[in-house]
Amino acid sequence: MALLLRTVARQGLCSSRSQFGVLYRHAVPMGTTAKEEMNKFWAKNTRLKRPLSPHISIYQWSVPMAMSISHRGTGIGLSSGISAFALAALVLPESYPYYLDLIHSMTFGPHFLAFSKFALAFPVVYHTFNGIRHLAWDLGKGFKIPQVYRSGYTVLALTVLTSIGLAAM
Amino acid sequence: MAALVRISSVCNRGVSPLLFRSSFLIRPLALQKKDRDCPYLISANIHATPSNYAGSGSKAASLHWTGERILSVALLGLAPIAYCYPGPAVDYSLAAALTLHGHWGLGQVVTDYVHGDFKIKMANAGLFLLSTVTFAGLCYFNYHDVGICKAVALLWSK
Repeated sequence: MALLLRTVARQGLCSSRSQFGVLYRHAVPMGTTAKEEMNKFWAKNTRLKRPLSPHISIYQWSVPMAMSISHRGTGIGLSSGISAFALAALVLPESYPYYLDLIHSMTFGPHFLAFSKFALAFPVVYHTFNGIRHLAWDLGKGFKIPQVYRSGYTVLALTVLTSIGLAAM
Repeated sequence: MAALVRISSVCNRGVSPLLFRSSFLIRPLALQKKDRDCPYLISANIHATPSNYAGSGSKAASLHWTGERILSVALLGLAPIAYCYPGPAVDYSLAAALTLHGHWGLGQVVTDYVHGDFKIKMANAGLFLLSTVTFAGLCYFNYHDVGICKAVALLWSK
């Protein structure tokens, strides 16, 4: 359909403003950028103290939606963890093995250790597998809704299994 | 002629606006009744890249996107290498890749949720500071302490 319209436009059947390469006649470029428009929107609405309509509090959650924000959440969490670790390395006086032994002397039992490993591995593994899913999307693959759900469930299953496997190591 | 007729019939069903939905920010105005030859066309305000930009535009954003993906793949590849060949080379590569991946990722979070020119600038400055300290700390750990690979191995050994 678009191809047909493009062909027609090129043949000059509709006199379009060709400098913009658009298909309709009265294309008028706006004087402001999209960013300026967005800022104007926020500035006006905050100035008028308008309340924000409920959005995420009312919209029905879906698995892809939850997985997407979890990908972001695990990313932020992992990044914070790494930064905290780096900061600790700079600030704390003793070496890593010292603090590790300190933690081990406080251990509450073997199951606690296994669970801690699982809890540590889970966000890393989830973010990794879902990251691969994102990279597939970046290649243009797997956008059909059934595919989105299938790949999503696959990531979740792989995450649980791999985390358990890593915790057992 | 047939083509024109066909398009008119399609456009009268209101298909045109859908074609441009994803490309432009459109505010459709009233139908121009006086166009005899193109009765179906709607005037629209659009954000179009001016033609004088074409060719001289910056590819920075596009290259950044590509860089992010390449880094993600590189980090993915580093994981098995870190497991099989732990050592200083992998330690420092991991420090660099993790920090940069996190920096760029948090940068996207800032772009999504922080609004207003000053706040954006402040948030990005703070992020830059955090990433710098993170990288410094990881390098310090690699040099003066056991290193990232050994640290994970030790953590998992108990």
